Amino acid sequence: MNGLKRIFAVHFFLYLLSVLFGCEAVAQETLSTTRGTVIPRKIVSLAPSVTETLFALGLGDRLVGVTTFCNYPAEALRISKIGSYVKPSIEAILAKQPDLVIGISGITDQETIKQLERLGLKTLVIPLSSLRDIFGSIRLLAQVTGRPGRGAELLSQVERQLGRVQERVEKAKRRRVLMVVGLRPLVAVGPGSYIHELLTFAGGMNIVEGSTQPWVRLPLEYVIAKAPQVIIQGVMGSERDSPGQYWKDLSSIPAVQEGRLYSYASDKILRPGPRIGEALEEIARLIHPECFDRSYGRKDKEHRCGPS
Amino acid sequence: MNPAIEIRDLTFSYGDKSVLQGVSFSVSQGEMVGLLGPNGSGKTTLLKILSMVLAGKGGVKLNGREIQNYGRRELSRLVAVVPQENQVNFPYTVAEMVSMGRASLHGPFSLEGKKDLEIIRESMRLTDTLLFADRYFHELSGGEKQRVIIARALAQEPQILLLDEPSSFLDIRHQLELLELVRKLNREHGLTVLSALHDLNLASLFFPRILILRDGVVCQDGPPQDVLTPEVIHQVYGVEVRVFLDATTGRPIIFI
Amino acid sequence: MDLLDRGRMIRVSGGLLFLLLLSVIGCAFLGPVPIDFSQVIRFSGSNPDADILFRARLPRVLLGVAVGGGLASCGVVLQAMLRNPLACPQVLGVSAGASLGGILGLIFLSSRLFFGGQTLLGEISGVPLASFAGALLSMILIYRISLIHGRIHPYQLLLSGVIFNAFVSAVIMFLNSIVDFYQAQGILFWLMGSLSTRAYLTVAFIWIYVLAGFFWLWWHGLSLNLITLGEEAAMQLGVDVAKVQRQLFLASSLIVGAMVSVSGMIGFVGLMIPHVMRRMVGSDHRILLPASFLAGAIFLSWADTLARVLFAPAELPVGIITAFFGGPFFLFLLYRGERKKVSL
Repeated sequence: MNGLKRIFAVHFFLYLLSVLFGCEAVAQETLSTTRGTVIPRKIVSLAPSVTETLFALGLGDRLVGVTTFCNYPAEALRISKIGSYVKPSIEAILAKQPDLVIGISGITDQETIKQLERLGLKTLVIPLSSLRDIFGSIRLLAQVTGRPGRGAELLSQVERQLGRVQERVEKAKRRRVLMVVGLRPLVAVGPGSYIHELLTFAGGMNIVEGSTQPWVRLPLEYVIAKAPQVIIQGVMGSERDSPGQYWKDLSSIPAVQEGRLYSYASDKILRPGPRIGEALEEIARLIHPECFDRSYGRKDKEHRCGPS
Repeated sequence: MNPAIEIRDLTFSYGDKSVLQGVSFSVSQGEMVGLLGPNGSGKTTLLKILSMVLAGKGGVKLNGREIQNYGRRELSRLVAVVPQENQVNFPYTVAEMVSMGRASLHGPFSLEGKKDLEIIRESMRLTDTLLFADRYFHELSGGEKQRVIIARALAQEPQILLLDEPSSFLDIRHQLELLELVRKLNREHGLTVLSALHDLNLASLFFPRILILRDGVVCQDGPPQDVLTPEVIHQVYGVEVRVFLDATTGRPIIFI
Repeated sequence: MDLLDRGRMIRVSGGLLFLLLLSVIGCAFLGPVPIDFSQVIRFSGSNPDADILFRARLPRVLLGVAVGGGLASCGVVLQAMLRNPLACPQVLGVSAGASLGGILGLIFLSSRLFFGGQTLLGEISGVPLASFAGALLSMILIYRISLIHGRIHPYQLLLSGVIFNAFVSAVIMFLNSIVDFYQAQGILFWLMGSLSTRAYLTVAFIWIYVLAGFFWLWWHGLSLNLITLGEEAAMQLGVDVAKVQRQLFLASSLIVGAMVSVSGMIGFVGLMIPHVMRRMVGSDHRILLPASFLAGAIFLSWADTLARVLFAPAELPVGIITAFFGGPFFLFLLYRGERKKVSL
């Protein structure tokens, strides 16, 4: 009966977690146990953000398998690959005989997870849609791997980073922002994504509203009507358009008039992992450059960091 | 005057299956000739060669000219074909069907003119189909459809009319009506007719000259009295029949 | 006796052309964002209303006209060639090949500027060109397979199209599984079809291309009538079936290839419009072709408008709208119209 008690304990513990942090998100994750609660020594990560988090928790040496897209930190490149993160290879995972396999809900293939469970592997699927999910994931991964202390440290580090950036821009007047992830078709970050929250923290206001989706496909006229003051072109896949080309004749858009068109490589921003603090800073620098660089720009009002 | 159709030593094979092995005959202008033969004897193949759907080896001349020297459109103003079956998957009216006989006279983007309309109307009048000009072709009965197809053939203003077992799917009344129409067209309008048939009695009744194809060659060629004898029929079809001469018509009647 | 005459041609074409004009204007007026028309004609400074009308909406609507017309006319031609009222441009493996080319382009080229820093014709960059290359290659392959003794056999054409579609779908699924999440999203979006375009140059190019292709098809209007009767009957009525089929195949493949390259897969237009127009103007292809072209243009412009408006601010892929309305409407037609239509 010891085993059963343990299972009960784990589930109660998870229940506590969900109550404490109020995340229905945590309640959504599944933790299947077949061998009782053991601190996992061999972990397979099915997503780059999970890989980064595990490394940040000092658990890089416990990772035995990562996806082909896990490229940060550099050490991750040396870990053997178990496939892409949308459809990882079950055989490769099995071959590693991991104690725990971690995926992302909504992105990692559900069938694969079910298969792994049927084959007797412990799986953990965590949501990573919102900032709260990201914090939750750091805590959860820390608990599950027996590093609650390190987890709390990492968490406060990230929170500090976020806080610092927020302080810098809190006096500045909010700027309407459009964050584009693809041009043809035109797809932008929507309210359902954690990036939307980052934009808000960075002193911006996402022009996309009225949707709950993380990515929203927009008609051009909507963008023109909402008159964004900053357009950030995150890069989707291998697009490498220079943002100027697409927008340059739309002179009625303030971002075009003022030349606030920025291009940004995706890996940092599009990873809901421990580097979001850095991501936030980079975004904030684009939205409110005047709050980061004293010598920025000219003397007129718009270029001072503060309410105008 | 050139014979309407002149065939010399025509051979044709589907792959390595030899179908026509040296067919020779000729048809004069205004003749009405029936073409008989067991299944697979090459009747349809022969008709297809005459309308340039297939190409055989040997001499085929129409109106004195080698068939290869005809352009397709030119040929369709000389030879019209009434095929066995008419399955059409699209809703055309009878008038539209008949008007397609005039197609070879039109370039792209041109529409039917007054003369075309007259000819279309006349063709339908001759075939007694003017009545259903605006009905849908696929709604007609088998016999009515055949008449429309003949109207279409007539609209081509051909000199030669080829028919491929035209009465196969018709009941006896329509069979007779159809062949009477064909005979009328032959007698009153001078159309040269070559028709493949399977019904020996109908052939005997309507066709003054009969060709029989067997083993890829013409094995009989003459009037029905001479050609449709028990010996020949046994030799060609492998059946025993009794043949009587009809006193009224002078034509043989075949009893099974 | 009711045959096609000049008067009817003019009335039908004229009427539809007028409706098309109204549609273009109407669709330019409509959108998820209301615009102030009094502002549109001001030429001073920054003018979001003018930008919306002229830079965002009008190019789309005009592209929709060309694509809708192109797809509908190819539908008519394919149904005639294959003697099957259920044929549609997707049946030609060409659109599958174009999709594959486009996806490969998205993965490897994706908007990378072509021709040394300048996009060709305003917008046609790597992806549409890769897509068109895919279309051409598959067209050549299918042509080779279907050509027997100089004639294109409808059966071979149909089958090779089906197989091509299946094969390319498999490759697309494979590619989808090995690219990263965001690329996969991009592929999905591209596949679902979109008329969003910015460059008038692109639109003008497509218009010229489609109109040229359409006239090439229309040229064969009478032959198309005859071909629907059967190959032999058509030959006996004077049509060089082999030559006409080859030309029709080439023309429709080139049109479909270009459509998919520029706007992704938009289904149902090529299937539904010919049917509807056949019931309205008859089966004579000399009028069915232009009527379908115009009707397809009208239909797609409105479908795109709906795509922009229905779930604002998000934009639906136009292929979903066409399927969503096209499908049930088509079923309804089938159900109601059986009396008049011949069964297959």
